[in-house]
Amino acid sequence: MGPNLFINYGEAVAMLLFGIGFGNLLLQSNLIKKIIGLNIMDTAVYLFLAEKGYIAGRVAPIVADGVQDMEAYINPIPSGLVLTGIVVSVSVSALMLALTIRLYRRYHTLDLDEISRQLKKEGL
Amino acid sequence: MYLILLSIFVPMAAGLCLLILPEKNIVRARLLSAVSMAYLLTAVLVTAALTRCYDVSYTLFHLTASLPVCFHIDETGVLFAVLTLIVFLCAGFFSFAYMKHEKKEKRYYGFYLIVFGVLNALCFAGNLITFYLFFEILTLTSMPLVLHNGSREAIMAGLKYLFYSLCGAYMALFGIYFIWKNSSTLAFTAGGVLHMTTGGNISGPNSLPGAAAGGNTAILLIAACACLLGFGVKAGMFPMHAWLPAAHPVAPAPASAALSAVIVKAGVLAVVRVVYYIFGPDFLRGSWVQTAWLTLTLLTVFMGSMLAYREPVLKKRLAYSTVSQLSYILFGLAVMNVTAVTGGLLHVLAHGFIKAVLFLVAGAIICTTGRTRVEELRGIGKEMPLTMWCYTIASLGLIGIPPTGGFISKWYLATGSLQSNTPAFAGIGPVFRWLGPVVLLVSALLTAGYLLPLTIHGFLPGADYDYAHLQKREPSPWMTVPIVILTVLSVLLGLFPNLLTDRIMGFVSTLM
Amino acid sequence: MDFVQNFPCFSVILCLFAGILSSGLKDKAAMRVNTCLLGIVTLLSGATLLYTLQTGQSFVYVMGKFPAPWGNEIRAGVLEALTALFFCVIMLLSLLGGRHKLLEEVESGKTYLYYVLTDLLLSSLLALVYTNDMFTAYVFVEINTISACGLIMIRQNGRTIEAAVRYMIMSLLGSGLLLLGLCMLYDLTGHLLMSNMKESVARLAATGQYEIPLIVAIVLISVGICIKSALFPFHAWLPDAYGYSTVSSAAILSSLVSKGYIFLLIKIIYRVIGFDIYGDTRIIDVLFAFGLMGMIFGSLSAIKENDVRRMIAYSSVAQIGYIYMGFGMGTEAGMTASVFHILSHAATKSLLFIAAIGLTDVSGGSRKFIELTGAGYRNKWAGAAFTVGSLSMVGMPLFSGFISKLLFAQAAVQNHVKMLPALIVLGVSTILNAIYFMKTVIRIYTPVGYSAYPSITFVKMRVYAVTLVAFILLNVILGISSQPVVDMIRQGLAMFS
Repeated sequence: MGPNLFINYGEAVAMLLFGIGFGNLLLQSNLIKKIIGLNIMDTAVYLFLAEKGYIAGRVAPIVADGVQDMEAYINPIPSGLVLTGIVVSVSVSALMLALTIRLYRRYHTLDLDEISRQLKKEGL
Repeated sequence: MYLILLSIFVPMAAGLCLLILPEKNIVRARLLSAVSMAYLLTAVLVTAALTRCYDVSYTLFHLTASLPVCFHIDETGVLFAVLTLIVFLCAGFFSFAYMKHEKKEKRYYGFYLIVFGVLNALCFAGNLITFYLFFEILTLTSMPLVLHNGSREAIMAGLKYLFYSLCGAYMALFGIYFIWKNSSTLAFTAGGVLHMTTGGNISGPNSLPGAAAGGNTAILLIAACACLLGFGVKAGMFPMHAWLPAAHPVAPAPASAALSAVIVKAGVLAVVRVVYYIFGPDFLRGSWVQTAWLTLTLLTVFMGSMLAYREPVLKKRLAYSTVSQLSYILFGLAVMNVTAVTGGLLHVLAHGFIKAVLFLVAGAIICTTGRTRVEELRGIGKEMPLTMWCYTIASLGLIGIPPTGGFISKWYLATGSLQSNTPAFAGIGPVFRWLGPVVLLVSALLTAGYLLPLTIHGFLPGADYDYAHLQKREPSPWMTVPIVILTVLSVLLGLFPNLLTDRIMGFVSTLM
Repeated sequence: MDFVQNFPCFSVILCLFAGILSSGLKDKAAMRVNTCLLGIVTLLSGATLLYTLQTGQSFVYVMGKFPAPWGNEIRAGVLEALTALFFCVIMLLSLLGGRHKLLEEVESGKTYLYYVLTDLLLSSLLALVYTNDMFTAYVFVEINTISACGLIMIRQNGRTIEAAVRYMIMSLLGSGLLLLGLCMLYDLTGHLLMSNMKESVARLAATGQYEIPLIVAIVLISVGICIKSALFPFHAWLPDAYGYSTVSSAAILSSLVSKGYIFLLIKIIYRVIGFDIYGDTRIIDVLFAFGLMGMIFGSLSAIKENDVRRMIAYSSVAQIGYIYMGFGMGTEAGMTASVFHILSHAATKSLLFIAAIGLTDVSGGSRKFIELTGAGYRNKWAGAAFTVGSLSMVGMPLFSGFISKLLFAQAAVQNHVKMLPALIVLGVSTILNAIYFMKTVIRIYTPVGYSAYPSITFVKMRVYAVTLVAFILLNVILGISSQPVVDMIRQGLAMFS
């Protein structure tokens, strides 16, 4: 496994970033940091996908110079998947940020644990 | 065969109507006449069903492909149905006078009628799954009777009853799963269904091949034990008897009578069905299950009597007495020979009538004097002579003095136990031969000890009794007539037993 | 190709269009569009179910004339059609039952947004049920998450927003893991269509090539979906989300959203990885263990609760544990039991939530148990419905809960190793369920001499009462004539892979 990690350094870095993002999303108490963690996690997956699509020595899958041979281009599907994924990631980030703004306006703090404490005091 | 369905659903429907009707514009007289009509109608329907639909099988619908809900009247069902009918009618008419002092009568009559219907369904159930269904419904619908007066004590007792019963029902269900897996049908068949195993089980492609009853004996014995303990909860068998002394005293007296005389007999009926109609006595005879069962029943007999002897509150004393007497019946069933089982079933009838009398008398006493403890009741015999005479006769029956019904059943129980040649399990079998009658005798002495003081102090209160302020407080005829009827029945059972004993012995021998 | 085969695609697209349309409509109009849509989709699903029952096999519908493996596919069989039908019916009844609370709790002028969200949620649920492509599944999982989040926070108070944030965080963790597992699986097999993936996975498992990456991918996908469907110990967001949102949302979330993910997991197990290979990875043992723990801890937490809606929410945790226990058996019978429990629980849990809101309404809006005393007399319909739901949960015969427990026990006795823990935990959890549900039922029927709260009669809440009756009928029908449903499930599972 050792040498494989160096050969596939892209995927290895992606996994590392995924771990960092996941940990941030789960463990941070500041909402903005959580959202940043979410974005890092999603981006790491896209990096992973993009790496998987890449084939050394070939170009992006846009037909140029009339070359229609399949062998000249990288795998186009992961790129499509990454685009879809980016759209999803943007939507959820926007939603999370909107929720954060609402919470901040109500409780004047970005700390989720602090908000829980204030809610317990409110006793809703 | 529609008579079967009608006799079950007419009282349930009547009860439901009573519950749903709004509280406000009820004229008491009209309510009582409606309830009496419901009682009489049910009585007619049940009698008709028993006579005309005897040995008829009727399937209502199928719960799943292999589990039909069906009804079938056989001898055992007839016995329990007759008991239910008589006791419920008597307690029902008694409650007309008693419930004047309690609130929310309509709710009481509603649930009383529903329980009546459910008990009929239990007696007429044709297979184990129908029985279990109505057993669960019985628990739920008899609980409101227990917590009727809404006091904190009543609610706690009701909850205790509910949880014990649910635990018991789940244990029994555990056993039923294994039975279902090892037999082709759950219908009640004399002599058991296990030998009819098809050698396989019922579900899909991943089932284990060739699981014949022989290889699974250990598991089936555990299942039998689970069923016995589970259904034994309802019948107040140690160790799950603790709900009985909590629930029976706290209910209104006619409901206590119904509970002690009939509803706990549902537990006994369950045990009869499971042991004799599903497992078959041949399977259980000589196994550790039988030994354990015999031990538990004898323990309960003794313990119930001891606890009753020391209990000062009258209704609680009678409740402990129920615990003890029910285990007499279960002991007879556990010995598994014809005489003992006949004794057990006779005692179902005898105890039913007697315990109903005892609780109704206790209710009459509470109604007229408001006193609940035995020591407060000196001279009560002078105040209510007719009622206390009935109490005395019933007590003699419970102790087992001829010529009452209780004597006949205890005679059969003792003889059966002495006759039994239970194949010895680990050499313990022969012990029960003499241990049974000994415990029964000791318990009879204790029974005298806890029932007769009321009679003695009631009729012979002693020199320091205030004769000047004595007032005759015989309760109203609504109360006394049912008590007298039940007492007379319990004595008749003892005077002319042969008709009944021959019939019972006849069908019990088919079960062996 | 029969016209009926278009219906699954039509259902999904109709829902999407209805959602888009409703975003421009006013409140009343959006509500009517939503109800009509649900009615139409129910009929379409029913027709599909009849068609698949008739033909006896599932059909594949190619989207846009691009054949596999380049194009996208929808696949419909008996199980998919049955589940879709059920989801539509439950959603319709939940929305009807909670309508009056929605109008109370959401500012008028904004309720059309709620209907947009439910349309989108329905479209994503149907797509999850019918899809045959992994990435489409992921996209609709995300749409599901976002709509569900909107459903939670449509009622604007501090609790719901915090619950929505917690829900999103846990859900996104699950989605991240799911996506990563999905990408790895794509990398290993080179396909995104489920049928093609299955062949590749079978080949890989046979040759033993890439054994560890395959297991890692399977584990990531399973854990991702488990987090999203609130399996113990990932259930922390559940009580807040179900307990404080508006009642239709609680009913829809508890009955449908988590079940959609579980259905996706079943689909992945059968159609991507293959039942046997999945069993070999031993992850079903882990699911079994967590399922058992969820059953116990969910019920224990419910007993400690003082708020009736949070109690019902914790009960959901326990019920999801049941479903995973069924998975963990690793047999066909276990799967059948789990799928039946999905349907039965969907019907019962929504009933409980909708009945509970009726009870709390006549107790001054408070949800504490003390205030609920005697509520069964003040609102008779809600009391009766709550009793029916509780009895079903406890496992009283005649109701659907009993059949579920029966099926689980039947499945358990077939697997000798897991039989004893499964049966014991089933028993313990039934008793625990009885404790908190029966306690509540007794309390709502304990008469109170003088009550400060008014009673409600039928006339004032016709729609609500009719909804409750429909739910009760559904429950009783499932309980009494369950055999046809179980047969359909078995048939569906057989043609599922």
